[in-house]
Amino acid sequence: MQSKRYLLAGFPFILLAGMFEVLPVLTTIIKSFRPEGGGFGLTLEHYVAVFTKPLYVSAIRNSLLISAASAAIGLLVAFAAGRAACERGGSVKKLFMSILNMVSNFSGVPLAFSFIILFGNAGVVTILGRSLGIQSLAEFPLYTIWGLMLTYIYFQIPLATLLLIPAFDSIRREWREAVNIMGGNDRIFWRKVGIPVLLPSLLGTFSTLFANAISAYATAYALLMNNYSILPIRIAEQFKGDIVQRPEFGSALAVVLMLIMVCSMGITQRVAGMTGGKKA
Amino acid sequence: MKTKKKHGTGLLLVVVAVYLLIPLVFTFLYSLFREWMDILPSSFTLNAYGEILGDSVFWLSVGRTLIISIIPIFICMVIVLLAMYVVVVYHPEWDKYMKLLCTMPYAIQGVILPICVLALYADAPEPFSNRIFMLTSTYCIVVLPYIYQGVRNNLNGMNVKGLLEAAQMLGAGQFYSFFRIIVPNITNGIIISSMLAMAIVFGDFVVINMLAGNYFPTAQMYVYEIMKKSSQKTCAAIMILFTVTLLISMFVFLRGADSQKQDEEN
Amino acid sequence: MAYIEFKNIDKFFGRNHVLRGINMEIEKGQFVTLLGPSGCGKSTLLRCLAGLETIDGGAIFLDGEDITRKDPKDRNIGMVFQHYSLFPNMTVAENIAFGLKLKKTDRAVIEKKVADAIRMVELEGKEDQYPSNLSGGQQQRVALARSIVMEPKVLLLDEPLSAIDAKLRKSLQASIKQITKELGLTAVFVTHDQDEAMVMSDVINLFHDGKIEQSGDPVSVYTRPVSSFAAGFIGNYNLLSVKDFTLVTGKVRQSGKETAIRPETFTISHQPIKNDDEYHFEGIVESNSPRGNVLRYTVNVNGVRIHIDALFRSRVLFEDGSRVYVSVAEKNCIVL
Repeated sequence: MQSKRYLLAGFPFILLAGMFEVLPVLTTIIKSFRPEGGGFGLTLEHYVAVFTKPLYVSAIRNSLLISAASAAIGLLVAFAAGRAACERGGSVKKLFMSILNMVSNFSGVPLAFSFIILFGNAGVVTILGRSLGIQSLAEFPLYTIWGLMLTYIYFQIPLATLLLIPAFDSIRREWREAVNIMGGNDRIFWRKVGIPVLLPSLLGTFSTLFANAISAYATAYALLMNNYSILPIRIAEQFKGDIVQRPEFGSALAVVLMLIMVCSMGITQRVAGMTGGKKA
Repeated sequence: MKTKKKHGTGLLLVVVAVYLLIPLVFTFLYSLFREWMDILPSSFTLNAYGEILGDSVFWLSVGRTLIISIIPIFICMVIVLLAMYVVVVYHPEWDKYMKLLCTMPYAIQGVILPICVLALYADAPEPFSNRIFMLTSTYCIVVLPYIYQGVRNNLNGMNVKGLLEAAQMLGAGQFYSFFRIIVPNITNGIIISSMLAMAIVFGDFVVINMLAGNYFPTAQMYVYEIMKKSSQKTCAAIMILFTVTLLISMFVFLRGADSQKQDEEN
Repeated sequence: MAYIEFKNIDKFFGRNHVLRGINMEIEKGQFVTLLGPSGCGKSTLLRCLAGLETIDGGAIFLDGEDITRKDPKDRNIGMVFQHYSLFPNMTVAENIAFGLKLKKTDRAVIEKKVADAIRMVELEGKEDQYPSNLSGGQQQRVALARSIVMEPKVLLLDEPLSAIDAKLRKSLQASIKQITKELGLTAVFVTHDQDEAMVMSDVINLFHDGKIEQSGDPVSVYTRPVSSFAAGFIGNYNLLSVKDFTLVTGKVRQSGKETAIRPETFTISHQPIKNDDEYHFEGIVESNSPRGNVLRYTVNVNGVRIHIDALFRSRVLFEDGSRVYVSVAEKNCIVL
């Protein structure tokens, strides 16, 4: 029989994935059931607290809300922009994609800061609004859910459009021509052919955007600090808090976040599988 | 009718592009002027750039960023290639498990992965509780999906089985064949996915802030710290780092376009 | 003992029994073809000889040595694949030199052997090209050169012509045959194309369902099929059941299940023919189709359709719907 020495080559991968991916996740799940302070036994108290204490309930609610809303708006804009870019094609599309690629690198702390210098108390837009007498610009509530929403939508748009453009590219001109020849207009084409074909990509993109937003930390951390409660910030402060560190409770919060991520991916995959199955 | 529609799509693209460019452009302008108390800024100066570029703390933080993005990506790439060798040559049926492990980081992205690592290793003995060690390993996991996908896509694009068999028939061992024939043929893909991963680590804040912000301040941490001191300098630092990231991703873009063109020609 | 011997080879893919106790011998210097439809096991047997597949039962001997458990790289067997499998990052010369370099051959020797091989496959001037700049036929020539430069004990060719344009196929066919003869190479050639097998081989092994259905030189395989499968796969035989045979000839045949008659063994005429030792019958021409230098008529004889080939000289001699007289020698009716 052949020697199995080649298996050694797979060992580093198992080690890396095991020690820094699988084990940490398992530990976190187990830890979320351990009583605070390192006692023995298992408990559900952290989960009870997560779903009863208003601070955490609102954090989950806010996170879900802002992620779903920013993903939906991002997807909507991306749909329109991606379709427009693909219809124009050529150098316009290339330029537009270059801009998307460029701004998709602009995220996290730098992004938050640039919104601060635009809409903050001494921000450019704020000053502009004040001197022109436009209240809504002068008093844009940056450090609230609205400001957070604005920044999230900002980073969702390029990501979503870049993900959708290949899908738009896959729509063949002949399909539309076939619909036109059979007497259908563009609206009928999109309703009967375009959207159904794109649906798996749309759902996949939504899921990616949602996951991207709900786990985002840097932008919110730099922009809001503690002004507004969202899940990743609440989780992080249990491990790196200035007040008290509560790793067991933080683990429970993290498990909730993981479950939300897995659910959103699972649901979209199921739905995409049901509708897109025919395509393949 | 047709032209009207074209104008409509063009306008939409312009509006979206402008919206996306505003924060960038203003950050850039902000970095060039000392005061912006009125509608237009005043007192143009490049001082902020001078100060940042003359600041050894900044250079140190950039150096740390470089080290911490290159080393984990290198380690991760080697590990993935070795594992891929086993999967491709001996056990193709294991690919689904490898794929699962390699895409799992998507589900634990953002804040989850670093806190999971902290939960396990914060109180562990050395070297596991060593922050640099934790950071390196965590970044390996962060870039894992991109590295895996890059390597996999490139392997799928070629007749791996046939090439391995041909090499074998000419007297080459399996390990030799994989690393001397298959891997050299996907060099371009390896470089592209490494650079993509580098851009990601370059822009990371959450992992570094959770795991080693104070021990190993990277460029992102530098921006965060300086934010509290001077807006103009922050903008300058942001622009410098953004330019670097842009160069990296431009490299990826051009390299990718190049190899695509080559494929089309063949 | 023969140069290559397969003894009772068994091979399973999962529950699929793909090679069922194959026994086969190949003499040194022979050009042997494994012929059969896809999935018959011919490629699998070739890959077992190469060592790219392990066998589940039996043994393989090469040059008096049991190579059953040997690694492919230690068997000194050359192989040409259907999809060329040239190394895309190496030039033509580097591809050909690859195996020699691994053997740590002297550089001057490598250069000479590579140059010889390139001349042999008629690719002078392409030494520094990359495979992607060559046509399929040229790539396959490189693959051939890459194998023969190693001076293998046996050269395996796994459907090497299937992916190549019809036009280039003929010239490559000739090159392969000529080169193997010139070097005195023992070659095992896999194909699903019966014409190719006829042209190239010293010996044809017809595969069916994991077994060797028939083995022999091209002429005997062509003229003496041993089963209805062999008759159906080679030479477009007419296969008549016992009932059909009686309908056509008016004679009753006692033995065998089917009668196989090659289309070109019939004589077709406007006048009745009478010869001894022949079957005679009448029919109506249903259709005709030119096939190169022969015309194929479909003739209806008492409700049974028979294909008849006649030399195609200048025009169609037997119009559709016309009544014709057909005869065939008894010795050309092969009872299966």
